[in-house]
Amino acid sequence: MNHPCSIEKPFRTYPISSLNIPCWFVGLLFVSGFLKAEPHVVGYERFDDGAVLYSELGCANCHGGSAVEVPRKGPNLAALSLRVRKEWVADFLKDPENGRKGSTMPHMFDGIPEAERETAITDVMAWLGTRPTKLKIRAQRHTNAEAGSAMYHEKGCGACHAATPDFISPHGKLEKFENAISHPDFRKKTDVKGLAYFLGNISTFRPDGRMPHIQLLPEEASDIAAHLWDDQASVPDTKFDVRTWTKADFDAIKRGGEWVNKLNCASCHDGLSEQKAALIKPISSGAGGGCLSDEPAEGRPFYDLSEKQRKSLVAFLKSEKQTSDDDGKLTLAAMNCYACHERDGIGGPVVETNSFFIGDEGLGDSGRLAPPLTGVGHKLKLEWIESVFSGTEGSRVRDYVKTQMPKYPAQAKKMAAWLSKIDSNPDATPIAKVEDLEAGQKLLGIHGGVNCITCHRWEERASLGIQAMDISNLNQRLQPSWFREYLLNPASYRPGTLMPPLWPGGKSMVPDVAGGDAETQIGAIWNFIKNGEGVPEGFPDRASGAFELIPKDRPIIQRTFLNKVGTKAILVGFPGEVNIAIDGASGQPALVWKGKFFDGYDTFFTRAAPFGDPLEEEVFEFEKSTAPMRFRGYELDEKGNPTFLRSEDGLEVSERFSGEDGKLVRTIRWAEGGAEPAKPIHPVGVEFETKATDRAITFTYFSK
Amino acid sequence: MKFEFRTFSRFQKLIFSGAVGLAFCINLGAQDSYNFHEILTASSPSTSRSKEWKPGDGVALEVSGMAWMGDGKLAVATRKGDIWIIDGVLSDKPDDVKFSLFASGLHEPLGLTKEGDDLLTTQRSEVTRLRDKDGDGVADGYLTEADGWNVSGAYHAYAYGPELDEAGEYWVTLNLDMGPHTNNHNGWRGWGGTIGKDGKFQPQSFGMRSPSGMGANAAGDLFFSDQQGTWIPATPIYHLRKGVFYGNQESAKGQEIEGSPMKIEMPKANVPYPQALRSSKEFVPPAVWLPYNKVGRSGTDVQLIDADGKFGPFDGQLLIGEFTNAGVNRVFLEKVGGEYQGACFPFLSGFPAAVLRLEFSDDGPLFVGMTNRGWSSLGNRSYGLVRVDYDPKVPPFAIQEMRAKSDGFELKFTQPVDRETVLAAGAFELENYTYQYSQKYGGDEIQKQILKIELPVVSNDGLTVRLKVDGLREFYVHELRTKGIKSASGGKSLDSPTAYYTLNQIPPK
Repeated sequence: MNHPCSIEKPFRTYPISSLNIPCWFVGLLFVSGFLKAEPHVVGYERFDDGAVLYSELGCANCHGGSAVEVPRKGPNLAALSLRVRKEWVADFLKDPENGRKGSTMPHMFDGIPEAERETAITDVMAWLGTRPTKLKIRAQRHTNAEAGSAMYHEKGCGACHAATPDFISPHGKLEKFENAISHPDFRKKTDVKGLAYFLGNISTFRPDGRMPHIQLLPEEASDIAAHLWDDQASVPDTKFDVRTWTKADFDAIKRGGEWVNKLNCASCHDGLSEQKAALIKPISSGAGGGCLSDEPAEGRPFYDLSEKQRKSLVAFLKSEKQTSDDDGKLTLAAMNCYACHERDGIGGPVVETNSFFIGDEGLGDSGRLAPPLTGVGHKLKLEWIESVFSGTEGSRVRDYVKTQMPKYPAQAKKMAAWLSKIDSNPDATPIAKVEDLEAGQKLLGIHGGVNCITCHRWEERASLGIQAMDISNLNQRLQPSWFREYLLNPASYRPGTLMPPLWPGGKSMVPDVAGGDAETQIGAIWNFIKNGEGVPEGFPDRASGAFELIPKDRPIIQRTFLNKVGTKAILVGFPGEVNIAIDGASGQPALVWKGKFFDGYDTFFTRAAPFGDPLEEEVFEFEKSTAPMRFRGYELDEKGNPTFLRSEDGLEVSERFSGEDGKLVRTIRWAEGGAEPAKPIHPVGVEFETKATDRAITFTYFSK
Repeated sequence: MKFEFRTFSRFQKLIFSGAVGLAFCINLGAQDSYNFHEILTASSPSTSRSKEWKPGDGVALEVSGMAWMGDGKLAVATRKGDIWIIDGVLSDKPDDVKFSLFASGLHEPLGLTKEGDDLLTTQRSEVTRLRDKDGDGVADGYLTEADGWNVSGAYHAYAYGPELDEAGEYWVTLNLDMGPHTNNHNGWRGWGGTIGKDGKFQPQSFGMRSPSGMGANAAGDLFFSDQQGTWIPATPIYHLRKGVFYGNQESAKGQEIEGSPMKIEMPKANVPYPQALRSSKEFVPPAVWLPYNKVGRSGTDVQLIDADGKFGPFDGQLLIGEFTNAGVNRVFLEKVGGEYQGACFPFLSGFPAAVLRLEFSDDGPLFVGMTNRGWSSLGNRSYGLVRVDYDPKVPPFAIQEMRAKSDGFELKFTQPVDRETVLAAGAFELENYTYQYSQKYGGDEIQKQILKIELPVVSNDGLTVRLKVDGLREFYVHELRTKGIKSASGGKSLDSPTAYYTLNQIPPK
């Protein structure tokens, strides 16, 4: 470490009191001298288990021996220099507590002799600055910190982190959340776009799922970032952007790399591409000299543990250790699944966080709280659990619960297999095999059934009362034996659920379906759902949520942007599956087609207002006309058939259209006087019949 | 069909608006005096900017225009393209509310006006006259009333209106194009204009960005709001008229098109607003700025309070819809040197969705039409219609008027003030600032200065307070912050402790 280094010079050459010293560095010296605090591990604080601490402080990464299914990792440090301010990193390495209160990062440099310490940090920083920087972090054009605040407080951030200090809760004054995971000072650490990028790509940077990946649209991530960063402008101010780290010299980088290896950083951090050291046997006593010392020890990371934490770890090390997590308690505590979920009577929201779980209050607590995980590996199919952990589209079935289940893509397969294994219930009574589809359909419905659709949605169909989850595809999620057990006694799985016992004491209340036998009826319901065809009886005759325009009794008219016609297209669909598009600039017909008409969704509701197309491939275009014409609107007759009005150089011309038995009938009329309208144009490739009278001419298309 | 129908007090509202509306409620305004009554609101299952956005069940009442049909029936245009006639909106009984479909298939209509027996609405491509010839309650004539502007296919190519001015002319305002297909160079994007006798759009003034709401004051002069964005630092409220430029230069190319009534030198850019305003005689300042975030983020409709006291003591003032903050702001205007200027006040907040349209009924209540889709708001519902009833038993305690004087301001209160609280040290703080005039999106308050205030003088009746100050600046926003002011009877605090006066001209002595 004798090479002169361009970065370290200012620190070595000038006295601390000099104004040339960056003020953050002076501040750092003061702060690091006086503020000491223990690492904060939520699961340990809540459940007081040394095994959780052993995993979550990363002890197992060097020493092995943790039964937690998903090992604790540090952040992936890739592209650090684009996302995080250099000053913050330096501050953090000097004392992690400066970067974030309660950080579990050990003081890695306290075990280095004081004379070398500062150089070591600057060298490691120099090396970190060389980590891959290919990321393109683009800022959103607009941010809305208020919308971000709303999302922060309702998407589930509040299950682990405290509410923002000036947040006004709709539930009145909030209890102070002592076990909240603190935030760093975001303004010191990063900029809005860096924070937004992180929030949008959490699983990239936090591979261990301890900070789990909430799925956000880029603009949502940006809004939340603006809120956390307290940037109230609608466009993030670039003057606060993280500046490119200054390039260090080659020797410093090289020495930094050596330190990274020596300190075994790669045992916890991805993105370092350095080798991990072999596992080291822990000293079980916790007596002086090791990581558990209350003073930094040479060559060891220093944890600054509280006395209680130290005792817990010593007790854990002395105990007989679990080799696997067979009831899930350890892993769920370590990963803080318990912040939201209860399992076997343990965990779930605490008093301080309960009010952040919001949703459809019409569904009771089930409408706002995450589901219990008791027996979840028996409840759900393996593939479904995996798709939930992977965050696969469509795997979120409780859209009314505002708190979002995060995704854990790196652990999905492993976690799903593990939960299925520990919860497997081979002795569960199988569901009855029933072939009678009609019975299932009747039972689900409201005409002599058990009225499932009164509360439950079915595909796109809203239920008739409260809007509980869609049950049309529950066979893809649930295991049949669990479904049977649950229907027989819903409250045993979820006390307080609004789901009533429909077969109280195992007795059916619908005696005239499937012989009135509970087992047969449950089997019939399962079979109908699994068969996947048909809809329970009792929904109104209306496909809510579908936007295909289907002319039944009367023509449907819709204006839209349409390819081949333009921005003033007026579509008319006639009963009998014949349709036209009028060019609303000239009032002349532009397209005709048979079959399905048009889907109104994009015109009605898509913000980007894309140009649409007819719903059929075979569409006939009308010849082009250059005659000067001006559209003047349209009128409807008592059957809803339109007459389009236009002016041709002062001559009033109208065109009436109707669909009759699959034929399109078009009558052009014009006003009295000497003038004649422009030569009519026709769809290319469509035969037609013509009938002319005084100042009117009728064409019938598709007449053969 | 089943509609939600709820009346809620302010307290209840806090509960079911969830965490959303309250994260940064700066000011609840005059809420105690006004009760919100939901006619219909609903939530989309997806977020407001989702590509998969879908409406809730029932009528997708994303209100984009409102007009009265007589007999207490309210015609409501929706962004989807329908026009509903809603009966029973003044009733408190849910069962009295009846919907009937009057027209459909329109292309995002964004305004509605009654004329004779017809309705006029502006779709993306034209102003349409909707006529019910056979009187069966359903439109059978969709007649082109006016057209003549370019519709490029850009999603942001919205058209607003029509709105009648005091001269009997209908006005339409045209949004700038944004996104794919954008073409702001041909066809009057960013322009406002009137409908000519030939049914053609007549361009009249330009420099608009998102002029989403228009409305006349008591004198019949039209005003419109614009929205923060490129060239526009905060929500401005402008006097709509011919031959002027409103500041957004993206519409300037329209001057080269045949039929343009204007050909002006563009004002100096990248200088403070007052300097830019002085560099061009056609460039007019807003009558009122609504400072960003403090008052609102995106102004929408303009609606005159003309309720004979049935909506509180604010007759003659304008209400401005507020999209993002899901609220309604209040504007007091006076004429100084022949031009309108005045003050704005936070007024109502906590609506269930973004406020786009406002319409008073003759009986006093205000109807507030809402839609979040495409952007976002503090509301936790997606769209709907809310009625606001004034409760005369709880009269508001507010700064009713803020007038400019040659040496300061005169405040008129709705109730006598407690003198001691007005004369207390620190009861008033006054700061002025302006914005940079530049192409940048939005803009900070710049050149901020705290003004020195002499001891206030309270009138004998306690209703008027005179502030003499040092440091008034023309074209600057004057932000008045009050502290601890109470009403003489009952010790009520001010509904809104702040007011923002845009002092385009200092009145002569």
